[in-house]
Amino acid sequence: MNSSPPLIEARGLSKKYGSFLALDRADFVVQPGRIVGLIGPNGAGKTTALRAVLGLTTYDGELRVLGREPFAERALLMQETSFIADVAVLPSWLRVQQAIDFVAGVHPRFRRERAAALLAKTDIGTRRRIGELSKGMKTMVHLALTMAIDARLLVLDEPTLGLDILARRGFYDALVNDYMDESRTIVITTHQVEEVENLLTDVLFIDKGHIVLDCSVEDIGARYAAVEVADDRLAAAREERPFHERRALGKTVLYFEGADREKLEALGEVGAPSVSDLFVAKLSAERAS
Amino acid sequence: MNDFIWLVRREFWENKAIWVLPACIGALMVVASLFGKVEIAMLHASDQQSEVAGVLFFAAIGGVFWAAASIYSVWYLLDCLYADRKDRSVLFFKSMPLTDSATVLSKLCVGVIAIPLVYFCAADIAALLVAFVISVRARLAFGNVLWRPELWLQVQALWLYVIATGVLWYAPVVGWLMLVSAWAKRAVILHALLPPLAVMLAELLFLGTRVSCVVLRDRILGGTYAAFHHPIRWSLATGEMTPGVWQLPAAVGFLSSPDVWIGVVIGAAFIAGAVQLRKRRTDT
Repeated sequence: MNSSPPLIEARGLSKKYGSFLALDRADFVVQPGRIVGLIGPNGAGKTTALRAVLGLTTYDGELRVLGREPFAERALLMQETSFIADVAVLPSWLRVQQAIDFVAGVHPRFRRERAAALLAKTDIGTRRRIGELSKGMKTMVHLALTMAIDARLLVLDEPTLGLDILARRGFYDALVNDYMDESRTIVITTHQVEEVENLLTDVLFIDKGHIVLDCSVEDIGARYAAVEVADDRLAAAREERPFHERRALGKTVLYFEGADREKLEALGEVGAPSVSDLFVAKLSAERAS
Repeated sequence: MNDFIWLVRREFWENKAIWVLPACIGALMVVASLFGKVEIAMLHASDQQSEVAGVLFFAAIGGVFWAAASIYSVWYLLDCLYADRKDRSVLFFKSMPLTDSATVLSKLCVGVIAIPLVYFCAADIAALLVAFVISVRARLAFGNVLWRPELWLQVQALWLYVIATGVLWYAPVVGWLMLVSAWAKRAVILHALLPPLAVMLAELLFLGTRVSCVVLRDRILGGTYAAFHHPIRWSLATGEMTPGVWQLPAAVGFLSSPDVWIGVVIGAAFIAGAVQLRKRRTDT
């Protein structure tokens, strides 16, 4: 597949908070040039995994990000990694112009003209304080600052939380159209899987600290199938050992992994599951077992 | 170094009170000197008496600023590693290629060097303005006691000495405040006060002694005593001040005191602890 070394490599990544295992020997690899969705329910360990990747927390196990050990080398790592942790983390006392000056002052890969150009597209005055801006505007300021940094890895943790649909769409459009190229890699977590599934190239499903699925979006169609089965064929379909089934509108959708295409086609209408459907199916199966 | 300057600048952006507060105090003093009742008898007194009066004048203005700076510094140090965790902006600052030790050191420098120096400059400006207003109102020639360069310089040196010795003497207090600021999840003031109180109480209850109490008292109240050693005696009646201003600082005694350096070591350990906590804590 990809000959260049992985951007993120985690082996047996674990993190304990007291007696709670937020991450339990998670293994995953992120290759360069990909947009990876780290998807999981609340408390699954998404944020903990990202915190570890960004050097914000200690961890057990092996973790390499851009060849570095994140916790020990966070400052160096941040020269080539950016992150937007959540909405509204820019301090409210900061003026937009000060934010630009500060990042330009401390970040060797920040391009001031680019930030200014991105901000000029919005109607946010640079004299304004972050605290005076709406949530959507704050996010756009943070995004402009982040996109002006020539980073190899961008990590987004619930970046559009609390934003309205227009602002969310604007955020992802800017990201895909103005930022993403082959030299960059994005790791993104969100609850709203539907919103990002069109832009992802890879998915990592995480539940209870485990990686449940690590798969590229192109491979989903080859590995997984969702089959709509009429009731009279249900018994026959179950023989093929679906890992999950869901009843909808008088039909049953069965989910198969690595099953024989021809056999499935005899049972009903075969399609590739969407990322969100696959997520629900995988997690339900994981929890039932 | 460049990063460090930006980090310090950032502190001044966030904490406007660093310069707004002394500016307000200075403005109040000038207003008071403009409209207050001026007691000018002292300024016409004999040479020796007027020298004491001059020193007292500068010392009083400086003292007000020094007290304000001390209170503000304590507040700043307690807040500096807590505020950005509370509003989560720590996540923005941690996305910058800045080490946590640089961040903590920048805040330390602002708390113990920048703030005292800003207040020191404000005290100077305020003293000059007030002296000018009083001189004009009292219709005194500019050669009077408030305008004697050697007196002025002595007082400047004295205050700088107070600031410098204060940095060393209060190192454990400063370190403790920063450690608490990096550690507390809420209520920083309580977190700063309760552990020492608990230690003193436990010692009193279980051992029946007051060693920690005495150590803490001597540390908090003993700064100027350690820096000057000689008790200062003023005599307004005769105008005698013993010893003279230049003899006051006891730098050699201060710098050779083990108390000072034990405190510096403890303070450094606390600050190292604050850096470690800063590396690990990103939320409150």
